[in-house]
Amino acid sequence: MKRFLLVSALVLASCGRERARPAASTDLLTIGYDREPDTMNRYATHILEDIESCVVEGLVTNDEAMNIVPVLALEVPTTANGGVDLRPDGGMDVTWKLRPGITWHDGVPHTSADVKFTVDAINKGDWKPESVDGFDRISSVDTPDSLTAVVHYREVYAPYRLQFVRGTLPKHLLDGKSIDAATEYNRKPLGTGPYRVVEWKTGEHILLEGVPNYWRGAEYPKIKRLLFKFLPNTTTRINQLKSGEVQMVALVPWDKVRELRGLPAVRLNTVVGNGYEHVTLNQKHFTPFADVVVRRAMAHAIDRDLIVRSLLDNLVKVVDGPIQPLSSAYEKDVTRYEYNPARARALLDSAGWVVAGDGIRSRAGTRLAFTLITQSGFAIRENVSQALQKQFKDVGIEANVRLIDGTSISSIWFKGDFDAMLHWWQQGADPEITLFFAADRMPPAGRNINYFRDDTLTAMLYASDRTADEATRITLLKQVQKRLALFVPELPLYNTSKVDAVPATLRGFTGNPTNAGPFWNVYQWQLTAAK
Amino acid sequence: MIRFIVRRLLQSVPLLLVISLLIFALIHAAPGGPLSTYLENPNVRPEDIERLRRAMGLDRPLGVQYLSWLRAFVQGDWGFSYADGRPVLDRLVERIPATLELIGVACVMALLAALPVGIIAAINRRFDRVSSVFAVAGISLPVFWFGLLLQLVFAGALGWLPSSGRTSFDGGDVADRAAHLVLPATVLAAALSAAWSRYLRRAMRDTVARPFMRAARARGLSQRTLLLHHALPNALPTFVTVVLLDISMMASGAVVTESIFAWPGIGSLFTEALGKRDYAVLMAFLMCGSIAVMVLNLVADLAVHALDPRTRDAA
Repeated sequence: MKRFLLVSALVLASCGRERARPAASTDLLTIGYDREPDTMNRYATHILEDIESCVVEGLVTNDEAMNIVPVLALEVPTTANGGVDLRPDGGMDVTWKLRPGITWHDGVPHTSADVKFTVDAINKGDWKPESVDGFDRISSVDTPDSLTAVVHYREVYAPYRLQFVRGTLPKHLLDGKSIDAATEYNRKPLGTGPYRVVEWKTGEHILLEGVPNYWRGAEYPKIKRLLFKFLPNTTTRINQLKSGEVQMVALVPWDKVRELRGLPAVRLNTVVGNGYEHVTLNQKHFTPFADVVVRRAMAHAIDRDLIVRSLLDNLVKVVDGPIQPLSSAYEKDVTRYEYNPARARALLDSAGWVVAGDGIRSRAGTRLAFTLITQSGFAIRENVSQALQKQFKDVGIEANVRLIDGTSISSIWFKGDFDAMLHWWQQGADPEITLFFAADRMPPAGRNINYFRDDTLTAMLYASDRTADEATRITLLKQVQKRLALFVPELPLYNTSKVDAVPATLRGFTGNPTNAGPFWNVYQWQLTAAK
Repeated sequence: MIRFIVRRLLQSVPLLLVISLLIFALIHAAPGGPLSTYLENPNVRPEDIERLRRAMGLDRPLGVQYLSWLRAFVQGDWGFSYADGRPVLDRLVERIPATLELIGVACVMALLAALPVGIIAAINRRFDRVSSVFAVAGISLPVFWFGLLLQLVFAGALGWLPSSGRTSFDGGDVADRAAHLVLPATVLAAALSAAWSRYLRRAMRDTVARPFMRAARARGLSQRTLLLHHALPNALPTFVTVVLLDISMMASGAVVTESIFAWPGIGSLFTEALGKRDYAVLMAFLMCGSIAVMVLNLVADLAVHALDPRTRDAA
């Protein structure tokens, strides 16, 4: 029977032969994508906007070095260039100058009325945008002329520069319509970008085609068509890359990098990420974590260099805090906890944690034993959690690893129902971290899931949010990082580098550390003929 | 006959009601919800999550949510997907052709293999031994492993076949579609034919051992007539029941196979909806699956009825 199947497979295979491997074309780039988007409306989706951003452009975007660069705006408004005005009543006005001569793909000019419409539509509240952050602080938008939009904020809002990173909604198309129900727009959005959607085959792929008169010049985009194939299964995605059925895979899981090295058709592009892997220590659930001595001892117990070298092939870099090296607010000079198990033991001894017969420390009847949760199906994390378990054990701390599926784990941490968790935060491009560390930002009001309370830190965080002056803000955030490293409410491990597998023949690709994603400069990409 | 069908259908109504209550309770008892993926995203503030919860009606008591779902469901309004906001019915319907195509081809392949293998294995001891080895392998091979193996060999190393998807994006002619079908259909058919051939073999063996067969043989009938005209019709009702019940299980999509091969059927929709806790899609999917099992059970009964004259008087 198996023989029969094999024969029939071979017979059918002969008709499929020659088609399985698409001819390498410089006009078509096929991308193996790990998920199908919910919607192409950038304001409604809550996952990466890779495909969306090829079609709908923001007023600004983040470049590969995390600078905020203008796209549909002429420049990024700042206090220095007169684009930001602090009002005496505590509010602020931000003036966006739009780039002239830009039209939507249907030929209608892109104007300040679209900016105003976007703010009004989001604030009207009759649909489900993913986030209204910042918009809810805007009282009104004035449009003195078709290329100027003055955005009036009720209070100072530091991340204002990224307010329109997701672009604008076309007023002439959506005015008076229910945006949730505007299926046509949500499936094939009208944009100003280098590509438009020509086909979305549910469960299979999205095909984008270059627009004829892209505003950056007729020579762009250089690649005529982009095909995003939905391949949720990681192994399938990597297999297709190997077989040449797809040419590019963004965000290759770290444990798959080894098998892709040495493939002649593939180039691996690594950028420092804007996220960090760390161990969250829930002080509320496991009270020994509330003692800074215990936390410092744990930090000294971890050999991060060994983990990075042996488990991660040096793909990532050890970091000491939540703000990442690419950020302008990054502070390098903070307290470091080098690997020093002897120091860790001494610290625990000094705090009265005595080693018991089973090798695990205890104090006043409490064992220094906790459960470390992490997401299952994430090979590297499973390995790292085991390494941590071993290293903690060496200093008399017991960590019991429990693997939890991806959907369940977020509701568990949101309820604060865990001791410690190995995970990452992928930060936005803005360096704001108030949501993760302010004392009044414990769930459900935020994501301070260390349940760490430090009033000085909280005051510094809020002060940094309420300044429109970039230099002041950076100074404050640098102090925040020093304080965090001193009190070590969580254990930072390493930066979450992003590895993208692209065709060896692709020029112009830079990658991107932020949620802008690797497609931020897709108009420049070019496929050269294979040698 | 019609009374029998009507009675069976009426009996299934309370059963479906209980099933719907059970699945509703179970999928809501699983940790997480349609908004849990939002939690990982720093752009989404807790205030946003609260706002979306209210907008989606997830803040209402579970009992109220169930009743409003039930009321709408029986009126044919299956609601909107929590993930993409499109009508659930649209999302299911657009996936059905792909699933039917895959299951249809796999079943035909499995039958073509299982029928001769089952029959020959029943009478030929040597062949039986060989085929039973393959059958055990077919039944016990994990689908995901076998699927990935086929991908590696036929798409990767040999490059003969596309490793996944239903069509090439610029293709879509018959040869292209057939090439895409080969691997997923083979994986599905392997497990099915292995099990089915064993069932058929067993049923044939039982029949062959019965006195009427010995009598027929004594009358000098040829081996071929004996098997195809006497043994097979007697073995068929059991076999058909098993086949139809297996198909009914698969009617809700070959979940694992579809996921591995990125086959755009309802099985991969289920995987996606499960990951996102898309309650509306999950409920509709599981209800359709339950209904399919019931309908195919009924069809199996009717088929046995048609195939086996002995059951007719009883009905």
